[in-house]
Amino acid sequence: MLNVNLINTLSGLLLLTSLLVIETKKPRQSAILYSFQSLILVAIFLALAIRMEADQLYLWAASAFLTKVVLVPVILYRALGKVDQTVTSLNTVSAPVSVLLAALAVVVSFTVVSQIELKSAADFIPALAISVAHFFFGQLCIVTQRNLFKQILGFCLMENGSHLTLALLAYRAPELVEIGIATDAVFAVIILVALAGQIYKRLHTLDSAELQTLKG
Amino acid sequence: MVTFVLAGILLPFLGSLLVLILPRSWVKATSQLVTFAAMLCTLFVLYSLGMTGKVGYTQDLLFFGDIVLYGVIVDKISALLGSVFILFGFLVVVYSGGYLSEKNRDHVEHNGVQRRYYFFLLTFIGAMAGLVMSSTMLGLLAFFELTGVCSWGLIGYYNDEKSLKAALKAIVTTELASVGLFIATAAFFVLTGGFQLSAFATLDDTIKTWLFIGILIAAWGKSAQLPLHFWLPDAMAAPTPISAYLHAASMVKAGVYIFARCLLSAGTVPQVIGVVGVIMAIVTMFYGLLMYFPQKDFKRLLAYSTITQLSYIFFALSLSIFGSATAFNGAIAHVFNHALGKGLFFLVAGAVGFSTGTRLLPNLKGLLKKMPLVGICFAVAALAVTGVPPFNGFFSKFTIFAGGFEAAKNAPLLMILVVIAILETIGSFAWLFWVFSSSVPGDSSAEVAAASDIAPSMKFALVILACLALLSGFFAMAWLK
Amino acid sequence: MESPHLIWLLFVPLIASVLSLIVHWFGDFTRPILEFLHLASVTATLVLTFIVAGQVLDAGEALAFSDWLRVDSLGALFVVIVGVMGFLSGIYSIGFTRHELAVGYTNHDIAIGGLDMGRLRVFYSLFHFFLFTMLLAVTSNNIIIMWVAIEATTLSSAFLVGLYGTRPALEAAWKYVVICTVGVAFGLYGTILVYSDAVNLIQETSKASLWTEIVKNASTLDPTLLKLAFVFILIGFGTKAGIVPMHSWLPDTYSEAPSPVSALLSGVLVNCTLFVIIRFSIIVNLALGTSFAQILFLVFGVISLAAAVFFMMGQKDINRLLAYSSPENIGLILIALGLGGPIGILAGLLQLVNHSIVKTMMFFLSGNILMKYRSRSLDVVKGLMQAAPLTSFFLLAGVFALVGAPPFNIFFSKFLIVSAGIATGYWWLMIVCMLLLMLAFTALFRMGSSVTLGQKPVEIQNGESGFTTLAPIAILMVLALVLGLFMPAQLTDLLNGAVEVVNAGVTATPLAGPNGSASVAGPLGGLSVESFFSFFSGH
Repeated sequence: MLNVNLINTLSGLLLLTSLLVIETKKPRQSAILYSFQSLILVAIFLALAIRMEADQLYLWAASAFLTKVVLVPVILYRALGKVDQTVTSLNTVSAPVSVLLAALAVVVSFTVVSQIELKSAADFIPALAISVAHFFFGQLCIVTQRNLFKQILGFCLMENGSHLTLALLAYRAPELVEIGIATDAVFAVIILVALAGQIYKRLHTLDSAELQTLKG
Repeated sequence: MVTFVLAGILLPFLGSLLVLILPRSWVKATSQLVTFAAMLCTLFVLYSLGMTGKVGYTQDLLFFGDIVLYGVIVDKISALLGSVFILFGFLVVVYSGGYLSEKNRDHVEHNGVQRRYYFFLLTFIGAMAGLVMSSTMLGLLAFFELTGVCSWGLIGYYNDEKSLKAALKAIVTTELASVGLFIATAAFFVLTGGFQLSAFATLDDTIKTWLFIGILIAAWGKSAQLPLHFWLPDAMAAPTPISAYLHAASMVKAGVYIFARCLLSAGTVPQVIGVVGVIMAIVTMFYGLLMYFPQKDFKRLLAYSTITQLSYIFFALSLSIFGSATAFNGAIAHVFNHALGKGLFFLVAGAVGFSTGTRLLPNLKGLLKKMPLVGICFAVAALAVTGVPPFNGFFSKFTIFAGGFEAAKNAPLLMILVVIAILETIGSFAWLFWVFSSSVPGDSSAEVAAASDIAPSMKFALVILACLALLSGFFAMAWLK
Repeated sequence: MESPHLIWLLFVPLIASVLSLIVHWFGDFTRPILEFLHLASVTATLVLTFIVAGQVLDAGEALAFSDWLRVDSLGALFVVIVGVMGFLSGIYSIGFTRHELAVGYTNHDIAIGGLDMGRLRVFYSLFHFFLFTMLLAVTSNNIIIMWVAIEATTLSSAFLVGLYGTRPALEAAWKYVVICTVGVAFGLYGTILVYSDAVNLIQETSKASLWTEIVKNASTLDPTLLKLAFVFILIGFGTKAGIVPMHSWLPDTYSEAPSPVSALLSGVLVNCTLFVIIRFSIIVNLALGTSFAQILFLVFGVISLAAAVFFMMGQKDINRLLAYSSPENIGLILIALGLGGPIGILAGLLQLVNHSIVKTMMFFLSGNILMKYRSRSLDVVKGLMQAAPLTSFFLLAGVFALVGAPPFNIFFSKFLIVSAGIATGYWWLMIVCMLLLMLAFTALFRMGSSVTLGQKPVEIQNGESGFTTLAPIAILMVLALVLGLFMPAQLTDLLNGAVEVVNAGVTATPLAGPNGSASVAGPLGGLSVESFFSFFSGH
């Protein structure tokens, strides 16, 4: 049973790192933290692979390592090198409020997940709840952060959450499905980074509050 | 025979397409030709129906599965009204040929023949014919809405702020009202499994009541009755021949026609519909009469007169629910007679505007002296509209009152309303007579003295209509007997 | 039947997309080569959609890739929409991009920009990739791939939306990607929930993600889980479909994107996401009875309709007005599906097809206006009747069609919706809907009259915008008229089949809820869709 506890603990660690990603002032540091978080995710995948004797999950772990620990952080890190770091961290709500909201997300996720009965995930209710909460964390990040790159990181967090849910519930899905979802995720980051880059180049801002001219 | 009925409906539509394609210089002649042909077709239908003992028939034409979407019904009423609507359409097309020119002093900024005008007008004529001949609820609804759309294009023809506003007001009001008909048609479809009007009689009374409420709302909107009347006076921003056609002869009659057609199909109708119809008609009638007095603009006066005349028709149709066939015939005859009389009146107003450049009544004096033809037509129209014998308005109004007395036998309270209606007639006669006497005889005012001559095509339409207004009174009543 | 054409249908746009991106070194010939490639691809796609639809009509379904791709009547209906609208948008794009190329890409911070060669290449490449993703969404039988495809539509259209690179365009693109990816992520949760439940029931795990397999086992799915999943799916894919209150990206995106893209977004993409929602609703109907999905559809439908109409009133921007008309129509479609029964579903699908035709046409027209006036404001765009009579005629006809005036197609689908509502006892709802539609009618009419009539600005030259930008509009208008007056037999067959597929939830299970087919009262209850169409099918 060590593995189950390990998985649940590691998932808890995910939450912690994602709070750090959200609250860190410098986006470049956030990107590094995100890489670290993805490493934890890979560890969870490996643990799950052992626990469930699911060979596919080794593959998942490998692809997650490639894309989430290496590729996406590098893209973000490099892109952030080209932009002015001083424009960075503006929030729509203060840090205590966003932590409070995060706590709320955790509570909601636990209540919802404990309601459903899934034979395949009975042991992993905490991990499942955390993955859902993690998904909400990502959304929280997108809503509360005005820096476009922080919003992209929010998307990445969201994606990590759903990826964990997927690993817990749908690890038996054909590989092609996982590849499809992973490709979408990577491309989403690439496109978001490219768009943010264009916006920076063209409008000289990374503040989403300045992107509010369209109304009505 | 159905071929001719269909030709009457489709020829104007064909014309409207041709108008878009053909060279600009052909537009006028094409329009006149197709409407003339359509008129001949419907007159032939009328004639042959009269020859065969006026026995009505129905022919289903368009199906969706085994559901009849559209069919034509040819009987005394549809043949009579169909021919007058198309005949008047032809006359208006002819009249427009002269009216829409740079010689028109009322609208000097106008720039030549426009396809748009004839396109909408011809589509409108076709839609009106399709509506009158329809044997299905869906046909009534579809053509009802189509006339609304065309009226928008026609009222807004002059393209200035005022007319565009008026056009929008007109279409929004009538389309809002048509929601009633839309819902009623959908309910009719759900309940009878089809659209044929003949199924109306099979419905029970509660359902009939609800359906008629929907139909009445639509009819009130289209026929400019309270509380949906306000679009009509503003719609006078339309070119005057359009006002004559839409706001006297045909479009405003679409509402009453649908009401009449459904009454006829439904057989017995719950009396509550009659009560509602009669009361609203009387209220509108009086409102219209009161609005005569402040009007300075010739056309706006005519608009309010139209509103009251349409209330007469609603009044008579509602009376027929109480069991008076006379009132029903009176109503149909009045649709016919009023179309000619009021249409003529509008065309006179148009002619006056064309040659003098004003439609303000205080500026119009001594028309007869300067423009004898217009003056005479003015007199004929005024007498016909107010119902002075032997002009056509008299016959139908008289029949309506006769029907009123007949219905009052069953429901004594109706007698009060009939008397009120008679009072209204007297009032409106007195006012129109006053208007007539101050504008037609006597010395010409400055504007009238400086008047130019009107186009020959306009004269042609005026003369024909004046003759019809004088002669048709006998005809409609005799035909409906 | 196994269909190699189905595979080609996906590969052709994919190949075209890659080729367009690498066409680079041909100097002056680059543009003609791009255009040729583009034309060839959209034409081939169109032909292939017809072939696949034909196969579906003959054999009931077309399959490929060991059942991962499957097109049934419902799918074929959507495949045809993608094919036809894609083709017409393709034709339109040629004239449109040539004009925008002539305007030229500028770095100034202006409202409406132009294009350069680099952007043109991106446009053509993404256009085809976008088509590919939409086709994948409607042909996929694997529910997770369905999600992947919908997510990919967002990603592939993001740069199309921001193509002009101006401030509003970039803003719109950012909003679009962020809101839609977040929204669609909810859809992923819904999908995973359905899958993880199904995987416990279906022995062969590789097949547990196939829609057909899930449908077979629908009645044994966990009801609570499925309810939760469906709410997630409705919210998630509903975001993409522009269902209110998840619509906030929609007006910006539709109005700032280049017109052919707006046309594809509102005329096609919306349908693809609705398609996914319908697919899941079939599973839900089979498992839970029809009432659960129907009530959700009705609630969201009415909210969308009402809110959209509210936003349409007093709207000064032509594109935004048209954009808001999308949730209005989506609302109507949802209401029709929510009313249910064969007639309700038929009405909904018919409205969907009709809306797609008319809305695509309207966005083409707004593109023509944009090319002429370089503005979308009702204060500037006036007197189109003088400037371009033919465009103006089409615009008026389009407005008439969009508000559902006879004899255009929407009149009939609107009528069917109201009939279905009355047949199921929703009198008051139908009256409310009609009154709301009146407000939309007013807004659209005001736009039509303001644009076509009035005095044109003096600096605007007279003249039409050219063959490739008018011909697609003319074709769509003929379609709108033809479907109003006469239905081709093939389309009615497809619709019949599609209604059967969607309505499977009612007939195949004893669990059908109180709002199922039984409540279709009156003679309409006995009226089958077949008898409705039999005239046109030639029986």
